[in-house]
Amino acid sequence: MADIWWKADPHDLHRIIDRVSSVYVERSHLDRDENAVVVINKRETVRIPAALIAVILLGPGTRVTHGAVRLLADSGTAVCWVGEQGVRMYAAGLGPSRGAGLLHRQAWLVTRPKERLGVARAMYGMRFPGEDVSQATMQQLRGREGARFRKLYRAHSERTGVPWDGRVYKAGDAFVAGDDLNRLLSAANAALYGICHAVIMGLGASPGLGFVHTGSAISFVLDIADLYKAEYTIPLAFDLTAQGLTDERDARTGLRDQIAQTKLLNRIVTDIKGLLSPPGTDFDTPESSELWDERLGTVSAGINWADDAPGEKKRPPLTAALEENTASEPPQLGEQHIAIIGPESEERLPPTDPGQEPGSL
Amino acid sequence: MTVVVLIAAPDGLRGHLTRWMVEVNAGVFVGNPSRRVRDRLWELLATRIGDGQAVLVEPASNEQGWAIRTAGRDRWRPVDYEGLILSARSRR
Repeated sequence: MADIWWKADPHDLHRIIDRVSSVYVERSHLDRDENAVVVINKRETVRIPAALIAVILLGPGTRVTHGAVRLLADSGTAVCWVGEQGVRMYAAGLGPSRGAGLLHRQAWLVTRPKERLGVARAMYGMRFPGEDVSQATMQQLRGREGARFRKLYRAHSERTGVPWDGRVYKAGDAFVAGDDLNRLLSAANAALYGICHAVIMGLGASPGLGFVHTGSAISFVLDIADLYKAEYTIPLAFDLTAQGLTDERDARTGLRDQIAQTKLLNRIVTDIKGLLSPPGTDFDTPESSELWDERLGTVSAGINWADDAPGEKKRPPLTAALEENTASEPPQLGEQHIAIIGPESEERLPPTDPGQEPGSL
Repeated sequence: MTVVVLIAAPDGLRGHLTRWMVEVNAGVFVGNPSRRVRDRLWELLATRIGDGQAVLVEPASNEQGWAIRTAGRDRWRPVDYEGLILSARSRR
């Protein structure tokens, strides 16, 4: 076996909360070339700084080699297979090179009623700008949210002239619901769930640990997506219905274009980080894997803790794990952004007609 | 901002570095790695550069605003003239 000097150590990797950017790739091959993660398509070859990226989103027409995935896993980069621009999420993977900081934080917040309520209030607060939600109960918040949505539907109905008589949908079966408007709304929401799901996976948080929603495997996805429905899917569904575009595909492509134009991906990343780790809180990067201790917090792993282990590594004196203070300037890729790579990404809009096959390499 | 220049680097070293920084031209890398990651990368470059040359320019709190690290065979040598770092090339 060759010397694998290129393997990254946890210290070589930027903490996930410092990684801001996502890269969306379509109609390309992902390969490994001289230890670099490389994207090849019919127009160009691009090397991906995987260690700086939280998540790489693989859109339609991508192929990935084993070598590329091995490097991405080593870099702590999450990989998600998604539909165009992240609408719909099919599968995701995350290698072993990640700490569980954000996940721990999320679990800690969600299992403590007071903290959980705090996060839920913050989520509602983002939707009621200028209102004080700091003392509201969940019941009051739900009521306000319901009233807000009713007002929204009515306003958009007046704006577009599309009649509105209540939200009708069947959970889990988005596409047999109610009238055209409801059907489009369900399709657009499903697409929005896809992109939120991909970002949550990419950051290493759990899609199942929700604050407002509970019980579903994508509770946290539903929580996050609710932050954007008023701006994205609801106006979109009314606009499309008014224009007579009633195909579910119209909802997905419409949302896709809006996501690309408004850089929603980054906003989702920022919002999730802000909700789970408000400014001032920080998770230390673990040295590597550690063992939990009910009194000391954590102790080192990889040591034989038997009292008289002969010839073993000397056990260090018992101290609580040192908090490594890595106060440093966070690394950046310039500005927080999402890069889109693909042969047609430059002249993306308008969408191609559905019958057209993307050019193969 | 951090800049790394690799000359005559062994196979795979340049590719490896592109996982952290962007190669803007052959052997010239630009990025913003954190101090800790920078130190770790430099350690790796210095041990593997062999007969090539590696130069790393990073922000520093001195008069010039930057500092330089070199490894590998001396083609260019940073020389400290009373706090001012200049580059010297030896005449054989």
